[in-house]
Amino acid sequence: MSKRVLLIAAVAILAALPLTFGTFWINMVITALIFSLAVFSINLLTGLTGLLSFGQAGFVGIGAYTLGVLAKQGHPPILAGLYGVLLAMLCGFLLGLPAARLKGHYLAIGTLGFGILIYQLLTNSVDVTRGPMGLIGIPTGGVDKQTWYLIMLSVCLAMLAALAYIDRYSALGVILKMVRHDEIAAQASGINIFAVKLIAFTVSAGIAGLSGALFAAYVRFLTPDLFNEQESFRYMMMAVVGGVGSPLGGIIASLMLTMIPEGLRVLGEDNYRLLVYGTMVLSVLWFLPSGIGGFIERLRK
Amino acid sequence: MSVLELSGVSKRFGGLQALSGVSLSVSSGEVLGLIGPNGAGKSTLVSCITGVLRIDGGTIRFQDCDIQGLLPHRRARRGIARTFQKVRLADQLTVYENVAVGLASHWFARASGWPSVFRPLSAASIAQAVNRTLERVGLGDVSGAIVKSLPFGQRHFVEIARAIVSEPNLLLLDEPATGLTERERERLATLVKDIAAQGCAQMLIEHDLELVGRLCNRVTVINQGHHIFTGTPAAAQREPEVVRAYLGMNQLISGGGDDACG
Repeated sequence: MSKRVLLIAAVAILAALPLTFGTFWINMVITALIFSLAVFSINLLTGLTGLLSFGQAGFVGIGAYTLGVLAKQGHPPILAGLYGVLLAMLCGFLLGLPAARLKGHYLAIGTLGFGILIYQLLTNSVDVTRGPMGLIGIPTGGVDKQTWYLIMLSVCLAMLAALAYIDRYSALGVILKMVRHDEIAAQASGINIFAVKLIAFTVSAGIAGLSGALFAAYVRFLTPDLFNEQESFRYMMMAVVGGVGSPLGGIIASLMLTMIPEGLRVLGEDNYRLLVYGTMVLSVLWFLPSGIGGFIERLRK
Repeated sequence: MSVLELSGVSKRFGGLQALSGVSLSVSSGEVLGLIGPNGAGKSTLVSCITGVLRIDGGTIRFQDCDIQGLLPHRRARRGIARTFQKVRLADQLTVYENVAVGLASHWFARASGWPSVFRPLSAASIAQAVNRTLERVGLGDVSGAIVKSLPFGQRHFVEIARAIVSEPNLLLLDEPATGLTERERERLATLVKDIAAQGCAQMLIEHDLELVGRLCNRVTVINQGHHIFTGTPAAAQREPEVVRAYLGMNQLISGGGDDACG
């Protein structure tokens, strides 16, 4: 009972928080929460089923550009976003067909290649995406920042709850853990390893696509550089700092890794701040090898 | 009626003929002993039956169906369950969770079963099957324990529980008595008889000939991939070829030979 009261209080505080923030910071929090969905998608893939993807930004880009291009053509933004998610899922499925057979380094290289492919497509399909000139003025306005914050908060909390349920309480959770732990034993229990991985790829791509669609709708300006392989590495870094397999850690890490570099601007515009930032990331990994999520888990015990 | 029927099964790995023309059959309620020296091809045979390995010749029929074209998970869903020589459990999960995984072959056997995977693990239908099975194998009181915290012998029973929770038609036990204490060995013997009494066909791969003699009415002996004998355990010990194979094994043991096919 007291746990439930605590949870409601926490959500209420989180919901009221933006009222006290300036525009700059609320912007930052909303963007971080949008990123955290992409981090979720990595968590799902790597944390639950043990698959490694360095091409996640590709799916984010597919979701973002689908919404951007279609909304500019006059489609309703919500529908355009839905198409973005579906297209990302389709691409995830198609990538999964060969990639779900790969393991370890090979899978990492394969997904990296996919990310680069999407980036090149976005850069070079100038007729559709306007390439490096960027897609400007995506018509998704009319929602103020407070509402955006609340939307993102609800999406992230819903995602957290769903993943926590699957991970800790559902039958699916143990099936996924068995696949990650021992494929041969999982097979002998009637689990189709390939299908599980393919579904994980598809769903993960969908969540990354959702992240992209929300990003496009919020920022209303896209360039291919927002979805290059560096972004994939950044999502991976957020997932690792957050603790692979810990969605809550993922959210905290996306908030931290988005806001700290900005906060460090008080040190001046030089690259010193990046040095401080890098050192901080390294120390998290040094002192908390299982990430923020692992740390929370230890506190709980 | 025979549940599993192998005829002329052959398997080669490059230049090594691991199995050549092995035939055997197991009926429902029967416990067939499969014995042979290390490297004879016992584990290879199990892998061929479960579909991890594709055979190069012969046929494998399960419940009167040719199952050669089926992938391992499809064979499991049809009712072929197994345990492993080296225990394969998710050792950071609880006993309960590990056994619940075994129900997957049930859930996925029919398209209508798929939504079951979204149910909570504590759902009545899951809990009932898992708890009943845990009681059956004598692990009722450690259901919430993490597998890693269990003594080694107990883990064999967790694996058996995972294999039988879906009520398979055929159970392949790959050296289940390895590393068991005397009392655990007795428990295993009782359990195998109990499973047989429910009509499940079993194949017991075991080095402990005393245990095989007690549990099996028939044994099949293979050596170097060849079938050399099928009959009662007592007759097996009188069969000159079997004795020769085992004498050979004794000499090999001093040389430290290990099962090449794991």
